[in-house]
Amino acid sequence: MKISVDYARCEGHGLCADQASGVFSLDDDAELTYHFEGAEVPEEHQQASRAAVDACPVAALRVLS
Amino acid sequence: MTAPRSVLIVGESLAGTTAARHLRTLGHTGPVTIIGAEEEGAYSRPPLSKAVLKDPAADQSLGLSLDGLDIGVIRSAAVAGDPRHRTVTTADGRRIGYDALIVATGADARRLAAPGQRGELVLRTLDDARLLRDRLADAATAIVIGAGFLGMEVASACAARGIPVTVVDTDRPLRRILGDHLSAALTARAAAYGIRFVQATGFAALTGDPVHGVLLPDGTELSADLVVTCAGEVPCVDWLAGTGLADRLGVGVDDACATTVPGVFAAGDVTYLRGNATRPHRRAPFWSNAVAQGRAAAASALGLPPSGPSQDDYFWTEVAGLSVKIVGNLPLLGEPATVEGSVVEGRALLTWTRADGTATAVAYGRRQPVTALRQLAATSGSCRAATNPPHRAPQQAVQEHRADSVHRR
Repeated sequence: MKISVDYARCEGHGLCADQASGVFSLDDDAELTYHFEGAEVPEEHQQASRAAVDACPVAALRVLS
Repeated sequence: MTAPRSVLIVGESLAGTTAARHLRTLGHTGPVTIIGAEEEGAYSRPPLSKAVLKDPAADQSLGLSLDGLDIGVIRSAAVAGDPRHRTVTTADGRRIGYDALIVATGADARRLAAPGQRGELVLRTLDDARLLRDRLADAATAIVIGAGFLGMEVASACAARGIPVTVVDTDRPLRRILGDHLSAALTARAAAYGIRFVQATGFAALTGDPVHGVLLPDGTELSADLVVTCAGEVPCVDWLAGTGLADRLGVGVDDACATTVPGVFAAGDVTYLRGNATRPHRRAPFWSNAVAQGRAAAASALGLPPSGPSQDDYFWTEVAGLSVKIVGNLPLLGEPATVEGSVVEGRALLTWTRADGTATAVAYGRRQPVTALRQLAATSGSCRAATNPPHRAPQQAVQEHRADSVHRR
């Protein structure tokens, strides 16, 4: 499972990090870091990552199969 | 308590899909079925008043996925429920049984048109947004009825396209929810952005067939190419008639998202949190709340304690290009403490502290992750909480709650 991040659309709400803190994090200025950029999301993070994708209120995250 | 064998979710909403996913996360291996009325399936609504109005390409990016969860999907509206026999009937004639039911049918736009009056525009669904986008393309003037979150977002979208827009409401923009301080600042900002505000003394009536204007109680009639009603939402509970599950405010739930009927739970915009001696009934049709309640309803449906908070008081809006993000109770009465920046300069971090020790934190025109905002609300309130009795703050009474919730599902 891979995830694409539309950084231009991201508004820094941080709800993804709420759902999957090991996958997404935000700094003090709400700039997003996705920890598996270009890589497969490890099995143990996949369920939480899908929840994070749905929790993004601006639809900036997508699951690429 | 034994875990139920089958769970039926009615409503392919954010609350519904979140509940479905969380059932699996919690280890439920039995059948899960979701009933959804909209052809597109579940999608994210906050972009409808922003990205979707700007760009048709955004339409394709909104889907909420149930992939890999082994969820049965029925694309037909629920038309009746029978909690005694534990069944739900759909428009296409199916009757589906369940052991536990999660109601997540959301809410609809409140409409003002007279019976038979055509052409009222609202913004709640993807189809609504597409229609509004098409109409924006050739409108020279616009009127928005309702100066809540959605009304001000739609007005901002008009102004951003250079369309002169008038917003009509009985109360000043966003005042019911955000209080005088932020209402004044945002109204001034909106005016500078090209959004004109008209305060009406009572209810406005739509004029024309198809609708082309609005008649105010003082006899003034305004007309425009585009008239959009943004007058709040109505919980989708018609299909629950006769079940005792719903009333005017929606489906009443407790802190665990349980209804008064055994085996029936509810989440999202269709719900209200039942009041008690210390708090009134409260609707909170916000995005984050739908996520929190979807998870809580899933846990409760399985007879498990909630694995996290069953409510979330984070929400946000955007007025005239400026974002406002809020954590905490409403409304925001009186003057805030400024933690950083300044409202006049359009970039500030603010807190409102109440006598009972709770605080609300606001990021005004400033990017701020929700975790930091939650922390600010918690720490701003705690010092006073320590010296005050720990009773709950009175929540915003539902009568005052006319916020729309395109954002919050």
